[in-house]
Amino acid sequence: MLDIKDLTVRYNSMDRVTAAVNGISLSIEKGSFTGLVGESGSGKSTLMTALLGLLPPRTEVTGEILYKGADILRLSESEMRNLRWKEISLVPQGAQNSFTPVMKIKRHIEEVLNVHLGIFGEDAEKEVVRLLEDVGLDAGIKERYPHELSGGQKQRAAIALALACSPALLLADEPTTALDVIVQAEILELLSGLRKSKDLSIILVTHDLPLAAMVCDRLVVMKDGMIAESGTPHELVNYPRHPHTKDLIREMFWQRNKKNG
Amino acid sequence: MTDILKRKSVILLICIFLTGFLGPMLITGHPSDVTGAPFARPVWWNAKLPLSSEYTVGNKAVDINWDKLPPEIFALNGRVTADPVKEVRIIWSTPHGEKVLDILRGSDVYWINMDGRDMIFKQKLGLPLIGKSVEHLFPSKGRYTIRIDGAEETELSLSLSGGREGLLGTDQRGRDVLTLLIFGIRTSLIVGISATLIASLLGLGLGLATGYIGGWFDALVMRIVDVLLSIPTLPIMMVLAGLWGKGLWQLVLILSIFSWMGTARSVRALVLTVRESPWVEGLRVLGAKRGYILRRHLVPEAAPILLANIALGVPGAILAEAGLAFLGLSDPRLISWGRMLHEAHSFGAFTEGAWWLLIPPGLGIVALCLIFMDIGRYLEEEIDPRLGSGKNA
Amino acid sequence: MKNRWFWGRLLSSIGVLAAVLVLNFILFRIMPGDAVSTIIDPNFSPEAKDRLRELYGLDKPLLEQFFIYIKQMLTFSFGLSFLSRKPVWDELISRLPGTLFLMATSMFLSSVLGIWLGIKAALNRGKLAERIVLRAGAVTASFPGFFVQLVLIMLLARTFPIFPLRGSVSIPQPTGALSVTLDYLWHMALPVLSLTLMGFGGWALYVRNLMLKALGEDFVLMARARGLSENRVVYGHAFRTILPPILTILLMSVPGLVSGAVITESVFSLHGVGTFLLEAVSGHDYPSAGAAFYMLALITVISNLLADVVYGLVDPRVRVGGRDQ
Repeated sequence: MLDIKDLTVRYNSMDRVTAAVNGISLSIEKGSFTGLVGESGSGKSTLMTALLGLLPPRTEVTGEILYKGADILRLSESEMRNLRWKEISLVPQGAQNSFTPVMKIKRHIEEVLNVHLGIFGEDAEKEVVRLLEDVGLDAGIKERYPHELSGGQKQRAAIALALACSPALLLADEPTTALDVIVQAEILELLSGLRKSKDLSIILVTHDLPLAAMVCDRLVVMKDGMIAESGTPHELVNYPRHPHTKDLIREMFWQRNKKNG
Repeated sequence: MTDILKRKSVILLICIFLTGFLGPMLITGHPSDVTGAPFARPVWWNAKLPLSSEYTVGNKAVDINWDKLPPEIFALNGRVTADPVKEVRIIWSTPHGEKVLDILRGSDVYWINMDGRDMIFKQKLGLPLIGKSVEHLFPSKGRYTIRIDGAEETELSLSLSGGREGLLGTDQRGRDVLTLLIFGIRTSLIVGISATLIASLLGLGLGLATGYIGGWFDALVMRIVDVLLSIPTLPIMMVLAGLWGKGLWQLVLILSIFSWMGTARSVRALVLTVRESPWVEGLRVLGAKRGYILRRHLVPEAAPILLANIALGVPGAILAEAGLAFLGLSDPRLISWGRMLHEAHSFGAFTEGAWWLLIPPGLGIVALCLIFMDIGRYLEEEIDPRLGSGKNA
Repeated sequence: MKNRWFWGRLLSSIGVLAAVLVLNFILFRIMPGDAVSTIIDPNFSPEAKDRLRELYGLDKPLLEQFFIYIKQMLTFSFGLSFLSRKPVWDELISRLPGTLFLMATSMFLSSVLGIWLGIKAALNRGKLAERIVLRAGAVTASFPGFFVQLVLIMLLARTFPIFPLRGSVSIPQPTGALSVTLDYLWHMALPVLSLTLMGFGGWALYVRNLMLKALGEDFVLMARARGLSENRVVYGHAFRTILPPILTILLMSVPGLVSGAVITESVFSLHGVGTFLLEAVSGHDYPSAGAAFYMLALITVISNLLADVVYGLVDPRVRVGGRDQ
């Protein structure tokens, strides 16, 4: 469904040119749950931004991103706008500041329903309630403002918003950072369940390998803008080949031992 | 610190300073002297208007070649001695004929004080009482002669005040605008700077006190600040100026009372942050008294902020003084740019089209404001890096 | 939560108003001393002087005078003018609409123009349009207002006689509602124009900064990610978020507008509260001066209170309060 071919993204800042993404090739199958694992600066967030066509103006991009046959990088802005949210949507990193502070949750969701699906008025409102309930939120949340929600609630609301237009691909960028462990588990469970019920493909971006290993059916490890290794969680955890993967796993075991010990 | 002196605005300020304080000493005469006709244009404007000229009329007739528009004032002054029996005639000869300005008889000394604007003068010549007599005295370009017939000794001076006078013209009384402008520099600078200094000292004192003492004193002063900030500034200043009198120092006081709040708040904020910092804590542990800490440490810390605030506060004070003077609420005997604008506005500059009464003082005010704002911005920029590397590190 | 905060602000405003009243009393009753002697002919008989004092209520003990004064101020019964012997209120009420009109129109025009330019500047980062706006803003902020007005009069009322030299209305006044309105607007054109010119710069700079900050926020990027059109993102999300501070500043600009209106009225010889205050102060007409000052202070206090209230209404973060994370 999604084919990334030799993608390179270079930022021109001040006097230096940094390659945030350096020659990545990746395929995402329909209905898959892929975990994109890497530390800060590995290029995973840049990759997500590229998928939505939201790279800042002064970036150099080479390669192809084929989505259902069309190259995202070569689409016009209005074509991109059609693609965004209807085909590919994003649950952003740190949903803290991703809602417009002066707009109710309801309005956020209704807006995309209006613009992308042409659903208005009462129908839209009913749909909002349905979406919120799907993510386990009380319907009353729709009347709330973003700052009134807890971290977990905001995350769920962001997921509801991301699913509003029934996209084919959901990008979840560090959806569990800054949440406590129980809520983390809930969110992941939610995502897994939604994948099955909505026939969704999900890319989960995270620095937390064990987390990704728990829910994804495929892991891709990134380092310094390149793919270090990819495979099933079982393969990567038990038979890591790339030194970085090994580091991540060692880290994972050390963390686990710390918790148990 | 010395490279501030290289800044254009500072150089300009120094020039203005020198002009304002040394100029009056170098200028002969007093600014309120009448030097020409009212509303005379600057000499470089409208060359069709004549410059002022003066002629000494002795026993011989004086010929004048006139090739411009009529002058503003025709004045003949002096003394004529004659035989009381004889008739003395003062004759003004124009290209269109002669006019007898006066016939005198019966005395041996006559004191002449003729002014073309006087009703009597116009009556004697049979001219309409409304309107300018000079237009009839100078009907066209050509040769004009003034002569005294029948006199023994003539010591007269014919003064023809032109429509052009001085580098910047004259005001409604005939005072030279450039002189007024130079004398006005002092007022703006003195009022602007002293009002701001007083306000800043007040703000510094109260800021330090409230920041350090805190408690009810802090609450009280902050309340007062809120109230003062809620009162519309110009109206209250108008009221105080009207009630307390229009003198220079009253004005300075009034301006100070309403400008200290900003400085107080900044200083107080500074004190609050510094007060809790480790090194002040350390000083206290070592036994330093409150006063010592205030004097030796907090004041120097606050000094740069104060300097910037002062530089930025002066334009406000200058504008406020100009505003009050413009409204007529300043001392009429005090020459200030605001007052000049007031007189321009109230005494017919518009009907005359006398832009030279508006532009110079107005631009002067603008120039001073821009200069001080530039200096203030420069000081602010200098402070910023210091705040980062200061003792709080 | 909203209630407690609202009553707090109201109480604070009442406090300020009380301080203003006390200040008014001190300025216009105590300080002038025996005001009667300043205005009347010293040749009046002592009985006549006493009767005048009684008329103006100046013979009662100070504290009693104070309470009477408070009552008068709150009921807007300002007594008689020293100069004209006519009720102050009549004169004041005839002048209030003019002043309010001047303030309201210039506030509206300068803010709308400034906001529009500020948004344009923010959207055209680094381009010519932005630089022009920034320059214009800096220049207009540093020019003394009344000087600009005087120059405008010279240019547009004398050199090119497009507008009238002075006054709120022509003399004699034209007949017919339409002519009167047009005549009034023609007279108010230069004053309003000058105030707008002087005011828009600050707005443009302020709004530009607010917009730049908002456009850099995450939620704006997210709005784009949701496939919303650029217009929607800029106006529906970014601009909407900076509305609360804009509204607050709008109301907080009123005190400055009051001062600006007073000067403008003097420059253009308009029939307003500002010129009334000036005449009263110059003529030592304490009842009129006190009333005029009180009105202006009242306008200021009310607008400050409204500023706080409206901010609370418009910014849900203040109104409803947040949750601890």
